[in-house]
Amino acid sequence: MKKYAKRLLILSILISIFGIIMIYSASSIWAKYRFNDSFHFAKLQLIFFLVSLLGLFTTSKIDFHIYQKYANIILALSVLLLIIVLIPGIGSLKNGARSWIKIGPFGLQPSEFAKLGMIIFLAKYLANNQKNLISIKKGVFPILLIIGIIFGLIMLEPDFGSAMVMTIALMIIIFISGVKLSFFASLGLLGLLGITGLIIVAPYRLKRIISFLNPWSDPLGSGYQIIQSLYAIGPGGLFGLGFGNSIQKQFYLPEPQTDFIFSIISEEFGFLGVLIVTSFFAFIFYFILKISLKQKELFAKYLCFGLGIQIIVQALLNLCVVVGIIPVTGVTLPFLSYGGSSLLVSMASIGIILNIAKNS
Amino acid sequence: MFQSIIHTRIRFVFLGVIFILVVVIIKVFYIEVFSYDKLKKLSDDLYSRKLPIAANRGEILDRNGNILATNITTTSLVLVPRQIIDKEKVAKDLAEILNVSYDEMYKHVSKKESIERVHPEGRRLSYDIAEKIENLGYDGVYLVKESKRYYPYETMLAHSLGYVGIDNQGLSGLELEYDKYLTGENGSIKYFSDGQGNRLEKSEVYEPAKKGLSLQLTIDIEIQKVVENELDNIMDKYSPDNALIIVQNPNNGEILAMASRPSFDANNYQNSTTEIINRNLPIWKTYEPGSTFKIITLASSIEEKTIDLFNDYFVDSGSISVDGATLHCWKHGGHGNQTYLQVVENSCNPGFVSMGLKLGTDKLMDYIKKFGFGEKTGIDLNGEGSGILFKKEKMGLVETATTAFGQGISVTPIQQVTAVSAAINGGDLYTPYIVKNLIDSQANIIINSKDKELKRKVISEDTSKLVRFALESVVANGTGRNAYIENYRVGGKTGTAQKVENGHYSSSSYILSFIGFLPADNPQAVVYVAIDNAHNVSQYGGTASAPVARNVMKAVVDVLNIEPSKDGMPKEYTYLDQKYVMVPNVTGMTLEQAKKELKSFNITYSGNGEKVFYQSPEEGMYIKEKGTISLMLS
Repeated sequence: MKKYAKRLLILSILISIFGIIMIYSASSIWAKYRFNDSFHFAKLQLIFFLVSLLGLFTTSKIDFHIYQKYANIILALSVLLLIIVLIPGIGSLKNGARSWIKIGPFGLQPSEFAKLGMIIFLAKYLANNQKNLISIKKGVFPILLIIGIIFGLIMLEPDFGSAMVMTIALMIIIFISGVKLSFFASLGLLGLLGITGLIIVAPYRLKRIISFLNPWSDPLGSGYQIIQSLYAIGPGGLFGLGFGNSIQKQFYLPEPQTDFIFSIISEEFGFLGVLIVTSFFAFIFYFILKISLKQKELFAKYLCFGLGIQIIVQALLNLCVVVGIIPVTGVTLPFLSYGGSSLLVSMASIGIILNIAKNS
Repeated sequence: MFQSIIHTRIRFVFLGVIFILVVVIIKVFYIEVFSYDKLKKLSDDLYSRKLPIAANRGEILDRNGNILATNITTTSLVLVPRQIIDKEKVAKDLAEILNVSYDEMYKHVSKKESIERVHPEGRRLSYDIAEKIENLGYDGVYLVKESKRYYPYETMLAHSLGYVGIDNQGLSGLELEYDKYLTGENGSIKYFSDGQGNRLEKSEVYEPAKKGLSLQLTIDIEIQKVVENELDNIMDKYSPDNALIIVQNPNNGEILAMASRPSFDANNYQNSTTEIINRNLPIWKTYEPGSTFKIITLASSIEEKTIDLFNDYFVDSGSISVDGATLHCWKHGGHGNQTYLQVVENSCNPGFVSMGLKLGTDKLMDYIKKFGFGEKTGIDLNGEGSGILFKKEKMGLVETATTAFGQGISVTPIQQVTAVSAAINGGDLYTPYIVKNLIDSQANIIINSKDKELKRKVISEDTSKLVRFALESVVANGTGRNAYIENYRVGGKTGTAQKVENGHYSSSSYILSFIGFLPADNPQAVVYVAIDNAHNVSQYGGTASAPVARNVMKAVVDVLNIEPSKDGMPKEYTYLDQKYVMVPNVTGMTLEQAKKELKSFNITYSGNGEKVFYQSPEEGMYIKEKGTISLMLS
């Protein structure tokens, strides 16, 4: 198990460094134009990385049982932050969503911490109620209610991407806990109805779906991002244009260092870059599962799996959007996209997993 | 038990994750391999900005390749405002060089356009100014080559060539009619830019412009020059309202020369009124033809055998009464008793009235239509008129009678020329045309070559032969004698048409015309001259227009290398004419004998010898009385 923990740590650090380099390449033109400093985003990401690394080592030192103990408080704190961020003046607007709390030069994303808080809470809940899970009504409904509340709060910002990542990850955790398959079948049906309902409430979501089916139907509106992403992946070709040679980053793909950094990686490094990034996530997930499978303690097993699946669900959602398999949802690519909160949460998750591997 | 379910499901989730990652990889592979071409092209279009390079317009050449319209290269300023960094400085410097106000230039350099032109100050720059701008070396300031249409002969053939606008688009004449062929395909300099229009460090792609096709005309520049020159003389001598000349090859409809006055310089067409520019008189103008139209009545009558030129007689008393109306002959007192050949020679109106009445309204009008009147000839130029004919049903005998000598009918000059061509070429009516070949001058191949286009056979070869004979005798013995050229067989017909002004025939304003052709036995060219409202000259086509036609035909003789002939009709002389006499043969005689034989001529001789072995002109030629004959002795 130590072997997996070590590999996981090395892999996480390597990919984060690769992320900084790619953020530099992707953002240099935009940063030069916006801040007159090509290294603006790369420098900040380096700071985020160092802070996150500190976070990783800290969490790897903290005995994970403490989360089990304080799970309720952590969740309550998350809910509090999610409510605070909605208050104008405290939460700052970005791209039409009130999802940030500004603290000096840095921003805090409450939804990122809520996602972590929910995993901890769910892991504890499932471990404590393993026997009740046979009954959907007694075992599953209560936790679904809590997930629903958190989901609702995040959607108030609104941050559809984070809400989706969290919900999918939590449902998968519930799935592995052994709940009857018939429950998931009926839940799937319900989900379908729910999505339909969401589209009816906010028709722009339908537009997003259409734009993913044929981005050229609205090339300057809803299809814009996906077209720009395809212009990076396609012309980059199998071999790529070479590091630093992306054309799409030159004001064509908006903020290329965030959600669409995978397009730039593909444009510059071609198919090889794509294979490297995808296998990285496959291995990270593989190592996390290996650690999780070895756990005797249910809480440890669920927590470890939960933190892993959260990262991987977000990664898959991002990749599927970027290559045009699903509509644009607005989630970043863990470890690689620019952003402090996201990296800190990912690295802290790895830290917790390392602690689980060590303490069992 | 729980553990085992959990582990199974964890493994299941892992497989699911791997599956999705594989799907992503496959999708990327698909995009990079199968959508590559499409996306590459689309993104290239997105990245590239094009600076256009205007294609050279095709040239217009005469039948022997002489250039009538060509291009001169000029330089124009093109701005890419996005790339201009120091807008104030660039605007200031450019404003100074181009003599434009700073404010206006600043507007240009800061305009939200990907490519901005400074119009018109920044176009067609002189070399000096272009060099000054070049030397500034600013980013985003480009000089591109443009071509400007140039007509080296200025007013020559101006109406038919037409002219072009500032963007080299054809606006009239052949430039308009053949615009899509003359216009080439524009090329471009393609450079790559980022999402904001800034230039990227990527090599430019040069796509050369493709020159348009050149037109080779049927026009012969040498004949055209003479025609233009004659028109200028007419304007100087007679100050008419307007004048026109057409020279056509009767055997295929090719226009050899065509021009009118007033004309304009196609290089500076703005200086002339639109009325002058837009009216290509030889094909646009419609008027009563007068006596030249009698050729049609004559040809129809011979074809229908309603008259015998030599054996039927007509007595002209000076007027003829038709349906209660009295129609006068142009000659007071009339021509007396004449054969119909003499009727033609004298251009006797009552005689032609009798011809028309013998034919009858139906036949006459049928022939007029068959000869192409009342409809456009279809010449490949824009702005053609179609003329006006009486409606057959509404015609009485008086209308038929006047139509027979060319009144009460309205025709265009080109209609007359093509109709007369048909009357004398053996009876074939051709569509006139002015563009012979479309040439790809880069590849040096003929893309399309126009051949003669027969509309219909109007009269028989035998009839045509008689018409030629009658018209040759008009020139030799009749009203057309001012067109007579010694040693050449010339046929023709004069015309003096009263102009209709405010619904009445004007008593002072005439269109004086002459239509002639040569050689009369095998016509190679038809020449039509019309002068509208000439001053300072007696108002007869034979006086004003026939000598002009004669000069043009003499040029045709030189250019087309028409052999002299001894078989022509000798000219009948009036006391006004200078007499021409036939040269006798003196070769083989001694010098003394020759001098005796040639006592009514001047003689020059060269060589040392006793006997004449060569004389010029030869035996049988006509020269002026007291003219010079050169002899060579051996």
